Amino acid sequence: MITTGVTQRPAARPDLVLRRVGSEWVVYDSARAKAHVLNLTAAVILTYCDGTNERSSIAEAIAREVPDLDPTRIKDDIDDALRRFADEGLLQ
Amino acid sequence: MPVRRIAVAPQVLEFASDDPVAEGALAALYHAAPLSTAVPTLRYGLRRASGGTGYVATSPDRPPFGPASLGDAWAYLEWRATEDVLNAPADGGVFLHAGGVEIGSRLALIVGDSGAGKSTLVAHLMQRGHRMLGDDLVRFATADARFSAVGRSLKLDPNSLSSMPLIARTCSSATVGTLLAAGCWYVSPAAIRRTWQAPAGRPRAVLLLDAASRQGPGRLERSSDGEAAVYVTQKVLTAADGAAARKDVTVRLLDGLADVTAYRARGGDPAAVAEALEREAAA
Repeated sequence: MITTGVTQRPAARPDLVLRRVGSEWVVYDSARAKAHVLNLTAAVILTYCDGTNERSSIAEAIAREVPDLDPTRIKDDIDDALRRFADEGLLQ
Repeated sequence: MPVRRIAVAPQVLEFASDDPVAEGALAALYHAAPLSTAVPTLRYGLRRASGGTGYVATSPDRPPFGPASLGDAWAYLEWRATEDVLNAPADGGVFLHAGGVEIGSRLALIVGDSGAGKSTLVAHLMQRGHRMLGDDLVRFATADARFSAVGRSLKLDPNSLSSMPLIARTCSSATVGTLLAAGCWYVSPAAIRRTWQAPAGRPRAVLLLDAASRQGPGRLERSSDGEAAVYVTQKVLTAADGAAARKDVTVRLLDGLADVTAYRARGGDPAAVAEALEREAAA
């Protein structure tokens, strides 16, 4: 399923700051003075949202970088993450 | 007029009084903070009211407070001094509404809303031999992303002293640095332990206290590290001027919290929570 409002080559806003905290990740949106907690998979997805990667290449990267992830879930995880990023205004 | 000057970096606070009783009380104000010989940046006074009934407290840019009882005037000064420190330029740092304790060689930040039990838990941990950064106020330096101590006194509910015999004895013997004012015991950490101050560092644990979670035995539960860190970033008390400054402070705080494990305290027994925290630190 293609998420409404998310382009085929999603791009995260360049002003976001991503930091690891313990076993999770936090992305800070200074424009809205808001922080969002991400799991490892979502954090990796965000790093591949640079406007050049299609969903398929993001999926390949996730499979490579998060080997513990169930391969059948990757597409859903990417859709969920991109939908969330779009809803939170983290994409350009 | 006798004066006492202390450093609460980067400010230098001066407390003055020409009244022997008030002078003794002023010794308990930020008692654990290091003495300073530098030029004061904030000046406070506590003197007898004209006519001899009660005391009047003076503070920068505020009308005099009083006449009031010595305890109320003292508590007013403690509040004003803290507010003034928080509102003054922090010189590369910010203050956080949080407690901090060193357990073993590991720092733990203790966060929660007012009344959640931070001071009581910190006091229990102090009584068990641990050093502290603070019970309600810690400093964070953005340059090195480290948390450090503030020499402010612990503010304890008199009822909580019943479970802390060492601190109760310290208060009842009128040890210098302890004072009952406006219904609360103010207890200098230096009155409990000569070496009270935990070294600056980055915490390995964040403990969230919730006043609504006081049922059942005291224990710790794992919590979201990211959510705990975000909560800590919301506890900055010093006003960061502008979005860029807010971003810098927030990102540096996240850097300082990179290695934390988060817990949520459950149950109404702070001694049991203190023991559980020790067990986690030793694991």
